[in-house]
Amino acid sequence: MSAGRRALWFGKKLPALLLSLFLLVTAVFYLSRLAPGDPLLSYYGERAERMTPEQRARAEERLGLNGPITAQYIRWWENALRGDFGISYQYKMDAAAVIADRAGNTLALGGTGFALIFTLAPLLGALCARREGGLLDRALCRLGTLASCVPEFWLSLAAVLVFSAGLGWLPSSGAYSVDGGGLGDRIAHLILPLGVIVASHLWYFAYMVRGRILEEVRADYVLLAKAKGLSGRRVLFRHCLRGALPSYLSLMAVSVPHILGGTYIVEAVFSYPGLGTLAYESARYQDYNLLMLLCVLSGGAVMLSGMAAQAIGQWLDPRVRAGEGPL
Amino acid sequence: MSGPLGNSPRSREEGAAPPLLEVKHLSVSFFTDAGEVQAVRDVSFSLKAGEVLALVGESGCGKTALCRSIMRLLPRSGKIKGGSILAGGADIARCGERDMEKLRGRLFSMVFQDPMTALNPVMTVGEQIGEAVRVHRPRASRREVRARTAELMELAGIGRPWERMDLYPHSFSGGMRQRAVLAIALAGEPAILFADEPTTALDVTVQAQILDLFRDLQRRLGTAAVFVTHDLGVVARVADRVAVMYAGKIVETGTAEEIFYDPRHPYTWGLLRALPALSKGRDSLYAIPGMPPNLANPPKGDAFACRNEYALAIDYEEEPPMVQITDTHSAATWLLDPRAPKITPPLGGEARGG
Repeated sequence: MSAGRRALWFGKKLPALLLSLFLLVTAVFYLSRLAPGDPLLSYYGERAERMTPEQRARAEERLGLNGPITAQYIRWWENALRGDFGISYQYKMDAAAVIADRAGNTLALGGTGFALIFTLAPLLGALCARREGGLLDRALCRLGTLASCVPEFWLSLAAVLVFSAGLGWLPSSGAYSVDGGGLGDRIAHLILPLGVIVASHLWYFAYMVRGRILEEVRADYVLLAKAKGLSGRRVLFRHCLRGALPSYLSLMAVSVPHILGGTYIVEAVFSYPGLGTLAYESARYQDYNLLMLLCVLSGGAVMLSGMAAQAIGQWLDPRVRAGEGPL
Repeated sequence: MSGPLGNSPRSREEGAAPPLLEVKHLSVSFFTDAGEVQAVRDVSFSLKAGEVLALVGESGCGKTALCRSIMRLLPRSGKIKGGSILAGGADIARCGERDMEKLRGRLFSMVFQDPMTALNPVMTVGEQIGEAVRVHRPRASRREVRARTAELMELAGIGRPWERMDLYPHSFSGGMRQRAVLAIALAGEPAILFADEPTTALDVTVQAQILDLFRDLQRRLGTAAVFVTHDLGVVARVADRVAVMYAGKIVETGTAEEIFYDPRHPYTWGLLRALPALSKGRDSLYAIPGMPPNLANPPKGDAFACRNEYALAIDYEEEPPMVQITDTHSAATWLLDPRAPKITPPLGGEARGG
């Protein structure tokens, strides 16, 4: 695809993307405000319960919570378009700043997890495909299914029980020790949550790669590749894995938010200060502005990765690649 | 009962050299959910350097299974049950996968039936030919590989190779793809080329071109070939010798002349009578009645008996032995037994004329 063609392609996708984002914002805005709960509680704490009606009205006006929901909604848009997403009631600072503060932690956890899954899944899938029906393949298939079916929170608790409470090898919560500590300390805190994320997601992708490779292995071109004298390993990696790659990359791109989202539960169990814990708290304590921004960000991530998946699929598969007619 | 070509003494000079490929009593079975399917049953034949042997027979008679078992490219369910395959100084039937990888592409190579699916759709044609070149010349530089790729494409009749080697298979027509497959098969300069119905999936006009190309290349490069087909017209065009297969067995073998002008097996008669050229002036084409037997449960006696209008009582009891007719010609039918009644072959002079 030429650069111009690519720009055109994204240009066509953009309106749909913006519309989806708009619908998401609207839905989250109304739903969160219609849900029961008192947002003043998260800002003023206990004090909110002892306020007089006048004090309450003034507080609501200060936080922009006065008037009908639709008026608030329009106000939110006016501010958002100027780049102002309001303050977090709980942290009493800019919602964007709160998120920026925590995003690094989540990226370290989810990003590393994603990278690990991304590289391990094809290897594991290829290994199983190469020994299809063998002892190793059957054992891995069973183990993998088990690992991906066990809920993350349970796996997290089990890991804490064994490695922190039992063996005492690794810390059970947080992102770093209270007294600071260096890189080693950060890594020690990452191992358990990372292990849980990889263990619970890896098999899904590895199994998909295994299936796609087995599909490719049965294709005629594999016979020709073997007939010309290529080794089994070369046929597997250069031919079959390559054939499986477009769908794998598309799936992985779609799964970026899925794996990042998977960190939410793990973060909560390990009290890891990331976006997951933040999102959970913001929904629980009616921290509207923070919740809105988190929704916009994760929604945007979902849509962008979906688009990326589609683009990757088209770019990698020469049969779908546009602009190349037969000679 | 052994094949006549393997161990019969020959006086002629070319017979003195050991054959390139010698298959002895080969049996291949597929183990499926429905039980054991005996695809190849006690097949023996040999192939000399530079010779073209045509394997002829209906679909499912074991032609493809025979070729793939010689190259050891059978699917997992297929097993060589017995016999030996002597080539390149080794018994291939007992070779491990590692050794086979060294033989494939160099000792023998294969052209497949459907060029639309035989090429990897996500690799350029040049890349796929280049891979085959590299197997043969692992130390060649990138430029050397590309030069050889272009040479091979030209050899296979693909014009403007430098432009076309960077295209993907979907930009190629069926005939061009088969030419590319041929270029891949020839890259390792194999001594033996297996061609598994290489023209069946092509247009009739393209078929003739590919056949001529095949014959031309085979003669120029001196490659021996096993040409699998169900089309006797194709056989007449390319083959030096013919082996007729039925239900996993070779039922008649001989030079192309012997098979066309002096066929002895009733199945060969049936195949020849079914040629459209021999049905000229008649309302309908001749067809051999019935269906080939199920090889999961082959019948007792001669597998062809129930479709054979000349079947004798013994055909239903005992398998006929391979009877030597001339030095090169033999057939497995009880009709050649001295005790059998004399019958006139249904072809008469027609086949001689065709």
